[in-house]
Amino acid sequence: MTIHNIYIFDHKGGLLYYHEWNRIKQSGMTSEEEAKLMYGMLFSIKSFVNKISPIDTKEGFLYYKTSKYTLHFMETPSRIKFVLNTDNNAQDMRELLQQIYSQVFVEYVVKNPLSKLSEPIQSELFKTKLDAFVKQSPSFLAKPL
Amino acid sequence: MSRSSSRIDTKKVNSELVTLTYGALVAQMIKDLDNADDVSKQLERLGYNMGIRIVEDFLSKTGSGRCLDLKDTADKVQMAFKMYLGVQPNVANWSAAGDEFSFILDSNPLTELVELPDDLKNLKYCNIICGVLRGALEMVHLDVQSWIVQDQLKGDSNTEIRLKFIRRLEDSIPAGED
Amino acid sequence: MADETVFDFLHSELVNYVIEQSELKNKDAKDEDLSNLEYLGFSTGYRMIERLTKEMPRFKDELDTMKFICTDFWTAIYRKQIDNLRTNHQGVYVLQDNGFRFLNNISNGKQYLELAPRYVTFTCGVVRGGLANLGINSLVTAEVQSMPSCKFHIQVQRS
Repeated sequence: MTIHNIYIFDHKGGLLYYHEWNRIKQSGMTSEEEAKLMYGMLFSIKSFVNKISPIDTKEGFLYYKTSKYTLHFMETPSRIKFVLNTDNNAQDMRELLQQIYSQVFVEYVVKNPLSKLSEPIQSELFKTKLDAFVKQSPSFLAKPL
Repeated sequence: MSRSSSRIDTKKVNSELVTLTYGALVAQMIKDLDNADDVSKQLERLGYNMGIRIVEDFLSKTGSGRCLDLKDTADKVQMAFKMYLGVQPNVANWSAAGDEFSFILDSNPLTELVELPDDLKNLKYCNIICGVLRGALEMVHLDVQSWIVQDQLKGDSNTEIRLKFIRRLEDSIPAGED
Repeated sequence: MADETVFDFLHSELVNYVIEQSELKNKDAKDEDLSNLEYLGFSTGYRMIERLTKEMPRFKDELDTMKFICTDFWTAIYRKQIDNLRTNHQGVYVLQDNGFRFLNNISNGKQYLELAPRYVTFTCGVVRGGLANLGINSLVTAEVQSMPSCKFHIQVQRS
């Protein structure tokens, strides 16, 4: 199983953080463009999913899957968005996303008085902790199968 | 060493620490700003800055989802009071339209150990709480106003904090589209 | 009980407020004036220790007092004990905390080192205030070389 990369967006859609571990193919866009497209897609898919839903949804959009990878999505009630791309062997990533939020993001961004909540994350401590956290997850494998 | 840590009640200490630090801050502000209204405003703003961070801590600790309605919001904030201030307020005095209500606290840890001198009678000592509410709720889509209705420091029998719903904030539209 | 994080967030806002005020008053000053932050700590520490030691026997001597600061007092406020206490037995004490509460979430090394004084100054005041209430006048400074570790230097003023 592999985790490819992560995007974190703030409540206004600004990219707070991006990191990749095992990304073999690049999109050929600048990271700003890519982040903008990603946020736009999430925005549309979210509103589409809710609009078209035949029954009341509570959670809304959770993930999409292609033949090669799965994009997992979690949004907090404060509208911070976490996106994790994994291979298709990685199962339910909700718990991991929730943990990244509560044990890494809240601890090292929200509780770091020097991190502004709507500016790209600069903290080395956050980067180190996130990296360690993702790497110790069972879904993480250094090399894709 | 004979002094064991068990003699100190850390929970009580922590609450007193907040009370004392806050008291020192208000005193400093009074010195700096020299005007009760400005101090009240500053306290509200400071609370706002705390609120936008506390709400993340609250959400991550409780795993709580989006609020269904204002009643649900009131319940969650009530829980947050208990978590962060150690007291559970009553939710009461709903307006007929259901867009306004109050949190009523029998005891207020912030004002323990505090007495207001006569020349500061219009200081809104607990305005920080109003700010926290505004900041925290703004982060979860709710634009609200909050103010103090009753204040134990001014001889009222309890502390009443009013909250008024203004509007629901929408998701930001992606850049370049409108 | 009140959640501990409230104190962390309140402390951060204290820092922001003092810096804002010092910038308003002294636009051209090169160094941040953190003296008010130290004073806020002093008043808090002064009143805090009173409440903590109310029902305790008097301390034997200065060293006994310092030990109390390093253990019970530190645990009450910073959730852990001081890791190392050194003294030259002539009124200088060095208290080392290897994971200081207000630095733990900021950095693990040298990043933001130039801003570290903001997050240790309040505590210098807390220590000075606590000691003052116990009848010891002192000067307290802090030294941060690599976060989240911090050394507090206490110099007892004997008159």
